Amino acid sequence: MWQRRAFLQAAGVGFAASLLPKQLAALERSELVFASSVQTASGGYGAVLLGERGDLIASIDLPDRGHDITISREAGRGVVFARQPGTFAVVFDPSGRAAPVTLTSVEGRHFFGHGVFSPDGRLLYATESDFEAAQGVIGVYDATDGYRRIGEFPTYGTGPHEMLLMADGVTFVVANGGIETHPDYGRAELNIETMDPSVVFIDRRDGRLVGQLRLDAGLHQLSIRHMAVDARQRVWFGCQYRGAATERPQLVGYATMDGEIKLIELPPETLGSLRNYVGSVAVSANSHRLAISSPEGDLLVTVDTEGKRPVLVDTLRNGCGLAADGDGFVATSGEGAMIGIAGAEREPKRFDFLFDNHMLRVG
Amino acid sequence: MRLVLALLLMLAAGPAFAQSPMRAEVLSLAVNGVIRPEIAGFKGRASGLESAMGALCAVPSEATLSVARQQFGLAATAYGRVEFIRIGPLMEDNRADRLLFFPDRKGIGLRQVQAILAEQDVTVLDAAGLYGKSVAVQGFGALEFVLYGTGAEALAAAEGSFRCRYGQAIAHNIGSIADQLAMGWYRKGGVAEHLTRPVQENADYRTETEALEELVGLVSHGLEAVRDTRINPFIAQGEVAAKPKQALFWRSGLTMAMVGANLEGMETLVSVSGMARAVGEADVGLDNSIGFEFSNAHRALDLITLPVEEAVLDPKQVAALSYLVILTQSLQAQIGEQLAFALGLSVGFSSLDGD
Repeated sequence: MWQRRAFLQAAGVGFAASLLPKQLAALERSELVFASSVQTASGGYGAVLLGERGDLIASIDLPDRGHDITISREAGRGVVFARQPGTFAVVFDPSGRAAPVTLTSVEGRHFFGHGVFSPDGRLLYATESDFEAAQGVIGVYDATDGYRRIGEFPTYGTGPHEMLLMADGVTFVVANGGIETHPDYGRAELNIETMDPSVVFIDRRDGRLVGQLRLDAGLHQLSIRHMAVDARQRVWFGCQYRGAATERPQLVGYATMDGEIKLIELPPETLGSLRNYVGSVAVSANSHRLAISSPEGDLLVTVDTEGKRPVLVDTLRNGCGLAADGDGFVATSGEGAMIGIAGAEREPKRFDFLFDNHMLRVG
Repeated sequence: MRLVLALLLMLAAGPAFAQSPMRAEVLSLAVNGVIRPEIAGFKGRASGLESAMGALCAVPSEATLSVARQQFGLAATAYGRVEFIRIGPLMEDNRADRLLFFPDRKGIGLRQVQAILAEQDVTVLDAAGLYGKSVAVQGFGALEFVLYGTGAEALAAAEGSFRCRYGQAIAHNIGSIADQLAMGWYRKGGVAEHLTRPVQENADYRTETEALEELVGLVSHGLEAVRDTRINPFIAQGEVAAKPKQALFWRSGLTMAMVGANLEGMETLVSVSGMARAVGEADVGLDNSIGFEFSNAHRALDLITLPVEEAVLDPKQVAALSYLVILTQSLQAQIGEQLAFALGLSVGFSSLDGD
């Protein structure tokens, strides 16, 4: 957990000094800091940093719609990635001392909306598409040299979406959603018949494939997209189904570096309400709970990670963003709501901006 | 606190509509007044195409070839009117891709069709054999190449026999799929029933709101698909020159007829179902605004009279194409955002698919 003191240390003295009194007061009250991409009231796009109580601490403007955010206290920087098939990522200084820097994807690549820093904050990794070859890659950027792109690794699949770094600090886990897109055709999905999604583990030192896991062949239209890692290093994932709406495959599962991949059983009424779409997943701080969201079904489901069964169902219109919050979760919506679920006691709030799909707990 | 939360969410959720007779009527009109008749129309045109291909193969001539090509256009545009209805039977058994695999970015389908013709692969001539092949060689894209691609002139004489029989097999496949679509939309306990009488036991549509969300989403996504796959890929973009051969049906000159059919199909669903009239008082003008924008799209389409490879060189027609792109954006915002909000639907910011 990155609490206020650690955040202040990471951000440096200039962070607090540069804040307006009201923002400083917000930070003083805060134990946690959240970050999310948003759409502003005027229809523009940006990213916000929020305190534990939902106080707006800082915001930055974005040229277009952002998606996920990653922050490294070692680097003293955060990065907002453009929503796929976006071509920018904005590096920002949470203290506001340094002006944001916009990275542009290199020729023949676009971003997929997710990325991570190396543990020492010296390298930034981003999921990208080599769209001519319809292959996923991880772009590698040198944070110590103006975020120069210094290379790339394959993701061993098409349409990589979320990537995370495992606790060993050297293994990436990447969700290859399996869906081919190409900037010439917007967001049109070009290979629904032949989709091949997978979860892959990749050594970040040399890009070597450590392991690749697939669900049963009959589930090849189940796009694996978002993930969260629990204390036992199980990678929980949420899927989006591209087959017929009358089919209701299971949408949530976990994978391990030992080669296990399994879907858990959600009851039919819960699956029905998810509408074949999981938009975000998060694991609670104590690792006992997993939360998944479906903005299409206005549903938030909390799962017991040991019993592997749902224990709580909440509704939130357009709810998608999820982050650990105490023993429970904070959830945000595309209509500007922020609520606590599964034991996270917090007053519901509503903002004049709309939250994008992901909420990051900083730390 | 739960109560406060529920209240807060309800208040902020925009107009909250309960189940209403108006919504039931919209759903019923959408299915019975639009989707079923349009699918039946496609089935009829597909049958006409099958007959025409049969006649061409039986008596190859310029006249029968001309009729087959004409029937191809009628069947393709009839499908164009319904292809945005990507639910129910169209989404089963890869039928949408089997009817029309597009875009085919790497030209894989074209190469496969050329190989079938070059090798005279007789396994494609019966329904089961064709079904086992790539989706790209089974539908309208493949048949367009058969009827208009390199070597198509052979169809008017006996030397085009294999090519013709392959085309006939494709037409038969299109006809069979059209039959399956029509049956699917009348199947007991099927998608039509679920959309018009949504109940909790359904896997797909459990409430009128979910059913309406689906219909509004179909139009919104359909408009996006027209823009992103049928217009933008072939018009000039900044420094990048126009690529007319990326256009759907450039060989047959049906590119813009297909776009017109797509838009007409969506316009018909919106206008006949009355979905944009089932709104609160504050939004009564929306139906009219949407209708006005569709009319603008038809006027722009009327200006594009040249085949695409010439249209992309003509400044007036280029302007009309660019304007069409803007109109699809504007229509998508009107339907996918304003109308969705006016109907209290969850088709909002976070729930746009694909992320």
